[in-house]
Amino acid sequence: MIIRTKNLNKVYRTDEVQTTALNDLSIEINQGEFVSIMGPSGCGKSTLMNILGMIDSPSSGEYFFMENEVGGLSERKRSDVRKNNLGFVFQSFNLIDELTVFENVELPMMYTKVPSAERKKRTEALLEEMNMMHRRNHFPQQLSGGQQQRVAVARAIVNNPKLILADEPTGNLDSANGDDVMKILADLNSKGTTIVMVTHSQYCAEFGNRIIRLLDGQVVTENVVRQFL
Amino acid sequence: MFRHNIILAFRNFKRNKTSFLINLIGLSTGLTCAILIYLWVSDEINVDKFHDNNDRLYQVLQNRQFPQKIATWEITPTLLVNAIKEDLPEVEAATNISSREENPRGAFSFGEKNIIAEGIYAGENFFEVFTFPIKESENQSFLKDKNSIAISESFAQKLFSTTKNVIGKTIEWTRGQNKKSFRIAAIFETPPSNSTLQFDFVWNMQLLIDADEYAGKWNGDYAKTFLVLKPDANFEKFNNRFASFMNTKTDKRKKSQLFIQQFSDKYLNGKYENGKITGGRISYVWLFSIIAIFILLIACINFMNLSTAQASTKMKEIGVKKTIGADRQSLVQQFLGESILMSFLSLSVALLLVLAFLPTFNDITNKVLKFNWSFNFVITLFLITLFTGLVSGSYSAFYLSKFKPFQVLNGKQVMSFGDQWIRKGLVVFQFGLSIIFIVGVLVVQQQMEFIQTKNLGYQRDNVLNFKRPNTNKSETFLIEVKNITGVMNAGRMWGNLLSGRGTQSGYSWRGQEDDKKYSFKSPIIGYDVIETMDMKVLVGRTPSREHQEDFNKILINESARKMMQLENPVGMNIGYSDTLREIIGVVNDFNYGSMHHKIEPLIFRVTTRGNNILVKIKAGEEQTAISKLEEVFQKFHPSFPFEYSFVDDDYQALYEAESRVATLSKYFSGLAIVISCLGLFGLAMFTSERRKKEIGIRKVLGSSVFEIVKMLTSDFTKTVFAAILISLPISFFIAKKWLENFAYNITLTWWLFFVPAILVLIIAWLTIGLQTIKAARVNPVQSLKDE
Repeated sequence: MIIRTKNLNKVYRTDEVQTTALNDLSIEINQGEFVSIMGPSGCGKSTLMNILGMIDSPSSGEYFFMENEVGGLSERKRSDVRKNNLGFVFQSFNLIDELTVFENVELPMMYTKVPSAERKKRTEALLEEMNMMHRRNHFPQQLSGGQQQRVAVARAIVNNPKLILADEPTGNLDSANGDDVMKILADLNSKGTTIVMVTHSQYCAEFGNRIIRLLDGQVVTENVVRQFL
Repeated sequence: MFRHNIILAFRNFKRNKTSFLINLIGLSTGLTCAILIYLWVSDEINVDKFHDNNDRLYQVLQNRQFPQKIATWEITPTLLVNAIKEDLPEVEAATNISSREENPRGAFSFGEKNIIAEGIYAGENFFEVFTFPIKESENQSFLKDKNSIAISESFAQKLFSTTKNVIGKTIEWTRGQNKKSFRIAAIFETPPSNSTLQFDFVWNMQLLIDADEYAGKWNGDYAKTFLVLKPDANFEKFNNRFASFMNTKTDKRKKSQLFIQQFSDKYLNGKYENGKITGGRISYVWLFSIIAIFILLIACINFMNLSTAQASTKMKEIGVKKTIGADRQSLVQQFLGESILMSFLSLSVALLLVLAFLPTFNDITNKVLKFNWSFNFVITLFLITLFTGLVSGSYSAFYLSKFKPFQVLNGKQVMSFGDQWIRKGLVVFQFGLSIIFIVGVLVVQQQMEFIQTKNLGYQRDNVLNFKRPNTNKSETFLIEVKNITGVMNAGRMWGNLLSGRGTQSGYSWRGQEDDKKYSFKSPIIGYDVIETMDMKVLVGRTPSREHQEDFNKILINESARKMMQLENPVGMNIGYSDTLREIIGVVNDFNYGSMHHKIEPLIFRVTTRGNNILVKIKAGEEQTAISKLEEVFQKFHPSFPFEYSFVDDDYQALYEAESRVATLSKYFSGLAIVISCLGLFGLAMFTSERRKKEIGIRKVLGSSVFEIVKMLTSDFTKTVFAAILISLPISFFIAKKWLENFAYNITLTWWLFFVPAILVLIIAWLTIGLQTIKAARVNPVQSLKDE
């Protein structure tokens, strides 16, 4: 089991208002699964993704990543787990504007101390695979949305993560580009990478094997997707 | 990673050109000031440190007890040096040189060539104690011979136009009636500019002792004494034992206590109050070091503020990097790297600026500062730049790197209350410093103006001052001078009114032994000096030719009359040594010396001679009168150059240090304000950018341009007001402290503080005004569409 959460709670407090984003949420995700998380705005999808991605910590409850409790880890330790095991794909791509396509993809390997020659080899191979090699020296602003997202996916998988967290990866794309990205994700999953994806689109959700629906910070239904593909 | 960070920094600079330029200008200006001040400070603190014995080389000083105060003198009896050598085992070597008043001066001639030079009388081992390298000498003991002279290379160059083959040559010396031949026995390197001892030649000390009977006695102070302590000697213990040393040698110096001070320390710490060292030039070293640090800090604050103001554009990068595994340390490294890179880029610009401005800076400071690419200089430059980079980058590095990635990526990061306060605090600090600088400039200038316009008790305008090489035909000379058209009056004296030199005690006006302890300033004047200088005689008369015996009489000033408590002093005889001296007049108080000192009781002694000539010239006739004066001078002294100065210029020269401070502080405060305003300009720009949407919405809802401008400027105005409130008391305190250096000073009036405050406020408004008006006039649809 790659992910197991037990009674996760996340409460946001501002001066006067207290908002419960996750409410005793318990889920389990097995290695190799492709899980889609759905639900209306404000249901806690993104909060759940942030906690699963270890870029936020729960207010209470437990989060086991690969059977290790990570909810209470320090920022430094979480950052270690993150860089070695996780890949992120965002709706708004989140490429660094000052870095070229090549440099954006190469960046995660710098944090995992991959030697320069190896970085170059892996980045080029991935860009080739994503059909972005011809754009390697371009800056993100010079690319279309679809191209940017392909670079973002390349960046997410360059360290061969065990888990990819994708937060509405097709949200800013037209359907053709969206389809391309979903196919890449499905392909990665077929090669063994676990994927957790937040989406509003039933169509995209069905690329996965299981859909978890959230409402008010709680799981309301879990369905296994019929494999129609 | 290093390469990655460098590339990223350069791309950031390229993308944010305005803030890059603001930072580049600010930091390079700040570094330029810092480097210039560093060059000046390092020159100052190295004065007199070049002697091999520097660590162990001390000067002997004496504290003399008077009823009014303890005076510290650097002059001592010539006999002291041998006594020290004989009796004090801790002393490795000792030597002495003549006091400044006793230094030999005069004309030297070789064949047809004449030059004027000033030298010193020195003990035989002078060149062993001090490091003035001998280039060539006849033998080791060249100073032992009273007919020998050691000359500097520049002396040789002037007299012989060469420094080669001059040893053994005989030169003639003339001063007044005195003539003597000297054989050149040694030639030494001209004392460097960072030596306080400046002399063209050296004579044996015995010549001074032979010429003046008091010079060889314990009760005559004629020499400066120096000693080198043995390496194992304890300074404190020595000083304690040394205090009463002179009393063991003579019973004539009971009021004198001796102490030693490191010779090279005396240049910076040469001010004494009540027998204790109380600082001196060191205060200017501190002042300018602090100014340099503050100007650099102001530039660093610009960098901090601009990078935090741009935080929103950096957020995404930070969020993404953190998400894909960057830890805080790597981000801190990245941001510090960026600021350090910026700082080193600024250094290259600063070095060019320093090269360009060094000649001007040298003019202002009257120094010969040069770039000396020594290891120390390079290391210091490196450290200053690194420090600047670290300080500049510190706040943004730690501030930006602490953001949580999910907040940043969701755009939920808001600036906390504390962060906003820090940023405002930084602006307050910048503008507070600027206000302090402006107040400083105003106060210094007002005080300088006060000094220049204050009634000194005599008229110094249009009074020419020059020295005759001798006093031959003293009266005839003066008559010829007075006959020149345009000359209103002329007089002669020993020394001048500006030096403040000469103190005597030993007068007795009540016939009591106690009187003799009181000290008086005691200038020696001839006929017509009081008239030439337009001093006011309160009672009695001035020395006059009709009274032949006047040279045994005295005049006193009002302060002396009060101190002596004399109701009708004129005609009274007061005792001095074994004689009686009649008081012939009382002059109004005047400043004898600089305004750093209070007017003291003074006794004018009268002489029929005096080589210093004071000539009052009618305004508008200076040119012709001076050329006529030169003719008269050349007639009496054909082989001497006519070198004159105006008393007014000499008076200004007394406040050289202050007027340098005034000029420098003017430049530095100007720079501080420019750098602060650059930062404010940048901040205003980013604030308008950040509030673009808000401005758009407000305009849609009906707000006018004026209201928007008011809203945007009010925040800055409050900040500048805070700076004013905080800085004014501080500047008042500093100004008051500085003015305490003068016995006579200006009153700190309200406008000295009000003007800088208003000035800074107006400058701030102008700086941000342009930005805010531009932002307020943007069509709202543009800002809303961007969102």
